Amino acid sequence: MVDEQVIDRINELLDSVDPETVNTSMRIPSALRDAAALAVSELEVAPSTTVLTANALRAALEAAVMQAVLDRHYEEYPESRPTLADLAIAAAEIDGHPLADDPGLLIRSAAEVQQRHPEAGPEDVLLWAEARATAAA
Amino acid sequence: MRRVILLDNEAVQALADPAHPKHRRAVSHTQVAVSRKARAIPVSIAVPTAVRVEAGWDRTAPGWAFLNRLRIADIVLDRSHADAAAALRTRTRVSVADAHLGAAIQAADQVTVVTSDPADMRLVAGGKPVVVVVL
Repeated sequence: MVDEQVIDRINELLDSVDPETVNTSMRIPSALRDAAALAVSELEVAPSTTVLTANALRAALEAAVMQAVLDRHYEEYPESRPTLADLAIAAAEIDGHPLADDPGLLIRSAAEVQQRHPEAGPEDVLLWAEARATAAA
Repeated sequence: MRRVILLDNEAVQALADPAHPKHRRAVSHTQVAVSRKARAIPVSIAVPTAVRVEAGWDRTAPGWAFLNRLRIADIVLDRSHADAAAALRTRTRVSVADAHLGAAIQAADQVTVVTSDPADMRLVAGGKPVVVVVL
């Protein structure tokens, strides 16, 4: 289990408004650096490769720390861990997907998908349920 | 385009309290948002500060550590939000917290609101397209 103090420290650092920057000795593949430079100049994905890299790193760290918080919570309160069906329903609801109004189909689809693909995610269930609904129409 | 998931008072209470009957449901929405964020899909969870007041969510109180650690952002009641919320409240007679939610809805690009009061959310959204999730 990840220590709460580590989570709090990462969150504190992510929330910092300290404008200080630092040169790092981080080594990345040169092809990746070149691809990033090209994407910045030609696709305008970010004002600079530095901003592109920092934004991507921030998003990855935020996701990692939030997942660590949830994992800790699931260990402490196992009944709070959502099932695949719960997640499929939540995903449909967040997007305003029409299948959000048919939780029964999503629950059945989650059970079917999970039987053959234990690592499936909620979007896999939505796709399967959509295919079933289309076939039945 | 970034989707923001807004929480109302009931959604905050449900997420904060493991004994709340809707806790797992509230966690499900959070887990979907976190999983999408991990896949570089732009999504965030936020709460208008007036909702935080209504919910009693004090970020300095240890009892709110779980929600604080989930990086749920504050939408502050700044001048433009206060103006929009005041106009909404005058027009619709909703609560201050719901008026602030309405101002946040109207300022967002893509928005989903998790709420126990879908009618009021549609009312404060005005003509703005909003996905309403009934907790």
